[in-house]
Amino acid sequence: MLKEALEEIAAAPSLQALQEVRVAYLGKKGVVTQRLKELAGLPPEARKEAGKAVNELKRALESAVEARREALELEDLNRKLESERVDVTLPGYGYGAGGLHLLTHVVNRLGDVFESMGYEVVVGPEVETDYYNFKALNFPDEHPARDTQDTFFLTDGRVLRTHTSPMQVRYMETHKPPFKIVVPGKVFRNEAVDATHEAMFHQLEALVVGERITMGDLKGAIHEMAVALFGPQAKTRLQPTFFPFVEPGAEFAIWWTNPRTGKEGWLELGGCGMVHPNVFKAVGYEGVTGFAFGFGIERLAMVSYGLSDIRYLFGSDMRVLSQFRGAL
Amino acid sequence: MKVPYSWLQELLPGLSAELAGRGDGGPAGEITKLVETLDGIGLSVEQVREQPAAPSGVVVARVVRVEPVAGSEHLLRAEVTDGDKAYGVVTGAPNTKAGMLTALAKPGAVLDGGVTVAERELAGVRSEGVLASPKELGLFDYGGGLIEFAGDVRPGQPLTELWPAETVIELELTPNRADAFSIFGVARDLSAKLALPYRHPAHGLGGGDETLETGLRVELRDRACPRFTLRLIEGVTVGPSPLWLQRRLTAVGLRSRNNVVDVTNYVTLELGQPSHAYDRAALYDGAIVVRRAQGGERLTALDEEDYALAPADLLITTPNPVRGGDHTVGGVGEVPIGIAGVIGGLQSSVTGNTRAVALEVAHFDPVTVRKTAKRLGLSTEASYRFERGVDPNLPPLAAARAAGLIADLAGGRLHLGLTQVGGDIETRFVRFRPSRVMSLMAIEVPPGEQRGYLEALGCTVAPLADDLWDVTTPSWRVDLAIEEDLVEEVSRLHGYDSIPITVPTMHFVPEGKDVTHRGLRSLLVGVGFQECIGYAFLSDEALAKAGAPAATVRLAAPPSAERSVLRTALYPGLLAAARTNRALSSLALFEIGRVFEASAEAERLGLLLRGDWVSGGWLPGQKADFFVLKGVLQKLAGTLGAELEVEPKTLPQLHPGIGAAVTWNGREVGWLGKLHPRLAAHWELGDVFVAELALPLEAATVVFKDYGRQPHAERDVAVLAPVQVTYAELRDLVTASAGALLDSLEPFDVYEGKPVAAGRRSVALRLRFKHPERALRDDEVDAYMSGVVAAVKAAGYTVRDS
Repeated sequence: MLKEALEEIAAAPSLQALQEVRVAYLGKKGVVTQRLKELAGLPPEARKEAGKAVNELKRALESAVEARREALELEDLNRKLESERVDVTLPGYGYGAGGLHLLTHVVNRLGDVFESMGYEVVVGPEVETDYYNFKALNFPDEHPARDTQDTFFLTDGRVLRTHTSPMQVRYMETHKPPFKIVVPGKVFRNEAVDATHEAMFHQLEALVVGERITMGDLKGAIHEMAVALFGPQAKTRLQPTFFPFVEPGAEFAIWWTNPRTGKEGWLELGGCGMVHPNVFKAVGYEGVTGFAFGFGIERLAMVSYGLSDIRYLFGSDMRVLSQFRGAL
Repeated sequence: MKVPYSWLQELLPGLSAELAGRGDGGPAGEITKLVETLDGIGLSVEQVREQPAAPSGVVVARVVRVEPVAGSEHLLRAEVTDGDKAYGVVTGAPNTKAGMLTALAKPGAVLDGGVTVAERELAGVRSEGVLASPKELGLFDYGGGLIEFAGDVRPGQPLTELWPAETVIELELTPNRADAFSIFGVARDLSAKLALPYRHPAHGLGGGDETLETGLRVELRDRACPRFTLRLIEGVTVGPSPLWLQRRLTAVGLRSRNNVVDVTNYVTLELGQPSHAYDRAALYDGAIVVRRAQGGERLTALDEEDYALAPADLLITTPNPVRGGDHTVGGVGEVPIGIAGVIGGLQSSVTGNTRAVALEVAHFDPVTVRKTAKRLGLSTEASYRFERGVDPNLPPLAAARAAGLIADLAGGRLHLGLTQVGGDIETRFVRFRPSRVMSLMAIEVPPGEQRGYLEALGCTVAPLADDLWDVTTPSWRVDLAIEEDLVEEVSRLHGYDSIPITVPTMHFVPEGKDVTHRGLRSLLVGVGFQECIGYAFLSDEALAKAGAPAATVRLAAPPSAERSVLRTALYPGLLAAARTNRALSSLALFEIGRVFEASAEAERLGLLLRGDWVSGGWLPGQKADFFVLKGVLQKLAGTLGAELEVEPKTLPQLHPGIGAAVTWNGREVGWLGKLHPRLAAHWELGDVFVAELALPLEAATVVFKDYGRQPHAERDVAVLAPVQVTYAELRDLVTASAGALLDSLEPFDVYEGKPVAAGRRSVALRLRFKHPERALRDDEVDAYMSGVVAAVKAAGYTVRDS
């Protein structure tokens, strides 16, 4: 009987069928249960012997039923899982991806570099008075240096700031040295617009004032920025030039290797120098020295990414904007 | 400024050898080294241009005879000779005349623009070549007439030998370096850097004798002209300039006129001192008066433009003979013959008939010259230099140089007298501590070396004490006024390359505030928005087309109507961006930027949504709509822990039923809604959703509160109210009546239509109650709900049976 029962259990095609087989043998009226009941009618010696055999039979069947149940349950689960299979190569829901503007990427990167060097990031107004844009920065009235600024004048006599330098004066008016600040922001020049010139662009200005700040510190700051941006092989060059609000003044260039082209060269980036005594006088500072430097962000962005026309930056065309995706 | 290398070498004779010694060898190496040296001393090189020699196949020719070509209005037939042979040439040049020396391009010569000269017939006349203009020779951009030579060349000489190639170094000079706005000035600065002796072009020339009577008189009536000198050159013959002079003017971009005017231009470029030549005959009684203009005065200048003069303009005048009688200087009625430091008058200028020249070399106030030049929109070689500051001691020397050259080239006699008013300026000195070079520049330059640099620049150094010098600055360095200026001079001659790389130590702790809104930008990018940057200026029309507030901040001289006013809102720029990208099926843009009002500017966030928010395909999509945009704001507020309120508001740019005011942490910060369909039609955009909020959008300040561990009790209620009653009103009504234990409230169904009566809607609300310390009993919650139902009924609404 055992062999026959085990075959029936093993052949049970479903959990339901298995249950039926189990009831037929092990249920209240099942064959095995029946035999257990019949044991009572046997003589004691024979009962012991027969009882052992029936119990063994029962255990064997129970164990077989359990094994078969597990097998059937696994089959069921596998069938269910198989039925739930999806094509993972189909696209997901079409949530649009966003991105930062290329210039924001560059400003953020510069902000990271200078913040890591202990600078404060500050911002200021884009419409300025003649005083902050020129006079306090040692541009005398009717001085030809003003011509170099290609200023947009407003009908109320104010100007669109031509550089981020007015924030030097504004910050110094409200803070005491020593400090290190950088000022990113929009500036405006009344220039003929072409592939490399825009009437609106962005600058980053740095100003450091303390008791013994030197031009060596200036070169150091620019150099650290250059290394952070372009790697340890970057070099920094200063050459004498003139800006009314610094003396001595210089323009700075960075020796870099263009990662796109592999070409090396000096990248002339901006102007710098030691803060002019007249600027300190305008804000009432005494007994300190300081350096300032500033440069155009568009140029850095354009050479870094190989952008051919500055006008792409403000055209708000997704075919341009969406290309500059990357770490936030 | 353009510096021909050969000219520079003439004033700095050892330059070529010095550069060759420093460079890598060869002429190219010399130029590379020169550029490096100029850049290194702050005379920034913009570019180096190789000016080619005159083309081969062109020779000097003398015009023998000129006759009109029959049947042509402007063509001439010239018979010319190259010394050996006569050529018949047809030309249209108006200045063709018998006896002149000009350039003959023979057949086979290749002229500017690649034109090959060939023998051909013109108007039926055979032409055996081309008589050439400077432009055709590729020398200078003037095609208005034939090039004309003086007697220093002879017919037959190949022009390519007479007019060799030239290397021209173009400098981009900063406005402080007025001293270097001349070939000599550049040579002088290089001389200081390279320790080479320079040659002064006026060396050894007498400045003129002020005691001799020249018949010329000057009266200065305004302090804007502190110095005025006149020299007289008599018996001149005005004609073409010699070849060397033409070559040099051409190399710096000036057209040769005649041997008098060319000299004044030449000396301007050579020494940096502008001058002006008058026909002596045009000076009434030999007198010149310098005064301000009077109302209504006009002058036809050398450029043949008629200028209306303003009272601020400084004029050169001569007494008016017509006013009669009063010939004395200082009398009434002088007529303008020049605008001081800007341009001379046409009437008094040198012409072919001039026999005597009165040469003006003067000094003018930079600001006066600048104001006039700016007002007239006329920047000349003279005004450019006067604005920046010409050496005030230079006039007598420059006058001697120019007058001597005119006499030489035009065959005249230089009068030995000098007519002059004014004199040299007082010497200026600067107190200087050599130790400042170290403390400002961090470079060690021994005091002896510093003194050497200053003296090489023309300064006189007188030590007053240990580390304190009295430095007299030269008259041509108007830019040297303070100690820091001298620190720069020492440093630039020593070389900026020796500045070390150092790092300052200072006690400064930045606040680290996110003033550039990096966090907000990142959040918006994470939600799916693309950042864009629009122009801060646009047109009145663009603002009007977007229904934005009219501009109050306007450019005084807009470059174009498109860029004439400052934006009053960001969304017009976003709409323009949406229009640019209208081919895309979905668009989510943001901009963070400033907007401008009369008294203040403000930072804003602009948002724009169009098309698909979640793009469809094989999965269901979601179109952008009001609630998507509002959801974005909710997400922002949720992330920042801020309280967001959105209430209906009618705004001109928005759909009247789909527009709202946005309140952030209790402060109204802006609006959101659907662009008014009328405006959207203007922009051809269809449905567009926009929002504009004032920044900063403040985040919550967090104080931790332990969360309640009690379960909440949930109840639903559906309120039937007129459709005009907003959810916010119902929410506030229910919140106010549900008691203090109401934990949250949200709408889960909003329904209009049968069986709800027309004009009404059902808003189903789910309320959750929670007690901080214990579980609520059903009867307690039922009591709260009774309060809600009572309040709803009291407000005139009904509760829908569930």
